[in-house]
Amino acid sequence: MIDLDVAQRNLWQDIDPHGNLLYCFSCSTCVVGCPASNAIPPLLIRNLVRSVTLGLEDDLLDNDTPWTCVTCSRCEEMCPMGVDPFEIVLALRRWQCRNDETRIPMAAAEIYKRGYTQPVDKAQEVRASVGLTEPLPTINRLPELHQQFKDMLMQVEIIHNADYMFED
Amino acid sequence: MAYGLFLGCNMPAIRPDVEKAIRLTMPALGVELLDMEGYVCCPAFGTFPSLDEEAHLAVSAWNLSIGEKKGVDILVECGSCYRSLRSGKRCLDQHEAHRKRANELLAKTGRSYEGKATPRHISDVLLHEVGLSTIRAAVKKPLGGLRAVVQYPCHTLFPHKTVGFEESSVRPHGLADLVEALGASVEHFSAEYQCCGGAGGFHGSSKAEANAFAKTKLDAIIAETRADLIVVSCITCLMHLDNVQKELSRDGASYAIPVFDYNQLLALCMGFDAQQVASLCTVPRQAIVNALR
Repeated sequence: MIDLDVAQRNLWQDIDPHGNLLYCFSCSTCVVGCPASNAIPPLLIRNLVRSVTLGLEDDLLDNDTPWTCVTCSRCEEMCPMGVDPFEIVLALRRWQCRNDETRIPMAAAEIYKRGYTQPVDKAQEVRASVGLTEPLPTINRLPELHQQFKDMLMQVEIIHNADYMFED
Repeated sequence: MAYGLFLGCNMPAIRPDVEKAIRLTMPALGVELLDMEGYVCCPAFGTFPSLDEEAHLAVSAWNLSIGEKKGVDILVECGSCYRSLRSGKRCLDQHEAHRKRANELLAKTGRSYEGKATPRHISDVLLHEVGLSTIRAAVKKPLGGLRAVVQYPCHTLFPHKTVGFEESSVRPHGLADLVEALGASVEHFSAEYQCCGGAGGFHGSSKAEANAFAKTKLDAIIAETRADLIVVSCITCLMHLDNVQKELSRDGASYAIPVFDYNQLLALCMGFDAQQVASLCTVPRQAIVNALR
């Protein structure tokens, strides 16, 4: 049973300070068009929004479903109340990261270290097979620039505080 | 007409034949492509946008500033990259506080963000800058007799206010128009506007369900059309609709509809070498390549 007396009534301010989600009237348009609503467990943005407005902090901290979103943004297009559900999904992920650094995406650290989520600089063989022999001006080939990129990101508080995850 | 070519991560690393097709076709159609030195990941939504807004916008501004410095707009094929760069630009342009902070973070790198470079999706540039008549005139080997279905990348449709370049986000027809300009006929089906399901965390966290989701689309194509091929204009749609057919075929069923990025098909029609522009795939493309000989 949910005890609303211990819920964090102001939780929405921490997640969506603009308060767009307060306009949600639970029509479920964001769910019916959502590919990840077919996932197990399903991504049910309407329910996530309701949990935020009720202030169910513990439930939301443990909830993995925001990370199954395909980012198609159909929900943002179709929402009749301008809640921008996709933005709520991203905001929930960021809120989880702020409260639990194990949520910090490893792919963000990969971009910090090598610039990309894929080994763009290690694909010479397959690139040569299609006639692409010129080296790409990727950031790892430009060490001074890469250091500037890292320095830029290290100024961001959450990255600075979790720097061990970003540095080799 | 010159653009900075934003390659993203998947195209140069996993499907460089699409990159080659773009690098051959676009200049031949009058679009000069400039490399973007030191570009980084767009950033993909599962990375900095899921971690911190400041970091997200700083990375967006980093990439956008490269185009800005060259005085050009930015050409993007990957749907996710396009949507991420457009969202970054919209947020930076509309919110002075965000723009100010991004410029503070950029300051030490000697860069700045002013909002002068606009990310354009390659379908948009082909439709509205190159034009269908120029494309028709460039075709040496038309796709006559072939029937295609198209997959619109979600990231070029939604939200329309940020990414849209067609009149309607729910009845787009640009990609079909582009395919017809190559001489193929485009057939329509009930799941035409359904997402491929390949982006984000869905396929990684719920593989069986994501495959079943893609299966509904493929089954609709097979039941309702006589499609010889699927045409996409997004690296994620391309890789997912191609690779998922092999995964689905393991269960005894057989799915073998060749999938092409639009510029690969365009390159073949313009007479470029199939090995260079369309050789990396899971479902064999030979039947289509042979039909163009």
